Amino acid sequence: MRRPDGLLDAAARALSTRLASGMTRRSFLGRMGGAVLAATGGAAVAAAVRPEKSEAFHFCGHIWTTGSCLNPLGLPRIDKNGFPLRPSDGHPIDNLGRPVNSEGWAVDGSGSRLRSPDGEFLPRAPRTRLCEDWTNEHYKIGGVMQGAWYRCCGGQVRKLVDCCSYSKKRINGDASLTGYCFDGRRVFCVLYYDSGLKC
Amino acid sequence: MVETFTPAVCGSRSPQRLAIALFALAALVASAVLGATLGFVGSLVGTRPALIAAAALAFLAALREAGILRLPLPQSRRQVPERWQYELPLPLWSAGYGAGLGLGFLTFQPVATFWVACAAALALGKPAVAAGCFALYGAGRAFMAVWPRHREPNGPAAVERLVGRATVVPRANAIVLGLAVVLLAVAPAAGAAVTSLGRGFDPAADGKTLARARIDSGTLKVVVAPPAPDPTDTVSPANAPALDGDYLAYEDDQGIKVIDWRHDSPMRELDGPYSHPALDYPLLAYIRNDGAHERLVLADISKPNPDERVIASVRSAADLGRPALRGGRLAWHRIVRGGSSIYVLDLATNKRHAIKRTNVWMEASPSVTSRRIVWVEHRPQGSYLRMKWLGSKRTKTLMHVRGRKTLLWTTALTGRTAYVTRWTPSTRKAAVLRVHF
Repeated sequence: MRRPDGLLDAAARALSTRLASGMTRRSFLGRMGGAVLAATGGAAVAAAVRPEKSEAFHFCGHIWTTGSCLNPLGLPRIDKNGFPLRPSDGHPIDNLGRPVNSEGWAVDGSGSRLRSPDGEFLPRAPRTRLCEDWTNEHYKIGGVMQGAWYRCCGGQVRKLVDCCSYSKKRINGDASLTGYCFDGRRVFCVLYYDSGLKC
Repeated sequence: MVETFTPAVCGSRSPQRLAIALFALAALVASAVLGATLGFVGSLVGTRPALIAAAALAFLAALREAGILRLPLPQSRRQVPERWQYELPLPLWSAGYGAGLGLGFLTFQPVATFWVACAAALALGKPAVAAGCFALYGAGRAFMAVWPRHREPNGPAAVERLVGRATVVPRANAIVLGLAVVLLAVAPAAGAAVTSLGRGFDPAADGKTLARARIDSGTLKVVVAPPAPDPTDTVSPANAPALDGDYLAYEDDQGIKVIDWRHDSPMRELDGPYSHPALDYPLLAYIRNDGAHERLVLADISKPNPDERVIASVRSAADLGRPALRGGRLAWHRIVRGGSSIYVLDLATNKRHAIKRTNVWMEASPSVTSRRIVWVEHRPQGSYLRMKWLGSKRTKTLMHVRGRKTLLWTTALTGRTAYVTRWTPSTRKAAVLRVHF
């Protein structure tokens, strides 16, 4: 079965061809705004035009229905090793959602380490991988990051990653699919990594 | 009852007054005993299930009183035994009538409110307070045996007129019960009574004596507050108190000191990189930080040269926190980058086990007695004060604070009372909370 984004891309291409045949190039470009493509469901193109308001299911680039992996702040943004990042700006965070410095100590907005009531520095909270550690602890499955696809979001290349396991149920509670997982694993939940590469 | 307590039945006015007085006293006492019993039973049962049951019962009762739901009430469809008036002496039957009506469930129940009050007394879990509240029920019973005839010599006629004007009572009762549902529902979700004790942090408790650290005018001090009328004692500069009866251990710039706080006399001094004392005299646990490692040490300070026993060790980037020592048990946390754990060591058997272990959350700041342990679990959505009976798998949440701006911090535990620091890093405000469970 074709992936939904494939079907939508084909529909967008068909529509654009029909529109272009009846317009000048300038008027064609003028009319082929993101709103029109969003209406036709051209997810990939619409994301490039209006990445922040993609019609993806819950974050830009993700148009399947699998839910996000467990995460501290509501969106499963990770660094290249799978550790949590603050979704708004990619700042490293610990498992409690607090921004941390390069050594893992929780800091405030000005970058100063947080202190306890007696002035001592607060201890470093755990900072572990959303797929391998969080998912395994909560669901007792052997989750690993496998498979990825790429989208242009916010003008930069976003890598969407499947957290794969042998579980026949995904984080949503219903049946899991193979997706981009391999070695018999199935998609349990999804995460994303923003590369910073322009697109 | 209005027809019973008359001069004709009692013999004359004097016995009538005696009968009414004994009736009222017995009703009060019986109600109070019922309340105390319910409160005592409630203190043994978990507060949370009792609160939920009470709220649910109040809801059903409100629907019943409003005429929406037909619900039979458990009741004894009897009146007080009339023959007692002829078979028993006046003091006995009048007191017997009072006790019977004061208990509530031995006679008719026209409204459901009585049973809701019973459920609420269970949820309250405090015998004295429940006794006081139920005594009011007994007082009401006594009042209604006397008041209707206060302007009218014909008691039954007075009661009939009263009943005729009481059409608003069921609706008012339904409203009051609805209010009871709301109040019971918003009672602390963890089923524990939480009270703020004011500024301070790092509580330490032994019985009813509480010690805490505080910063006043930039100076760190420890305040020891015994129950009234004993005066409060202050030690300065001092931090991280640990309390055991008359002994107080605290941390200062030189290391750790142990004093008799009642007489302000020093007992022991440990100079060096020592901090976070925990005291169960003569045992003292503390953290020794040599720069590269943090070690949890246990020592017998009654000896001139105490042997130090290293219980746990981590690299300095990790954290062993503030240990707890009580009832033959030593508890501590271990927080590393890859996770956190709470450990308890049984000093008699030298067996240690992990109460809680996680790769995700931050488990911290345990306090322990011979039977229970409390600690704080930190998550992104807030911090939770957890409690567990030692040897049980079940964990109970005593209270929680939502969000990341304010968090629960260090704890103390004595009997069925926990203390916890509530800390807001941005405003540097800290308060000690007391949690009864």
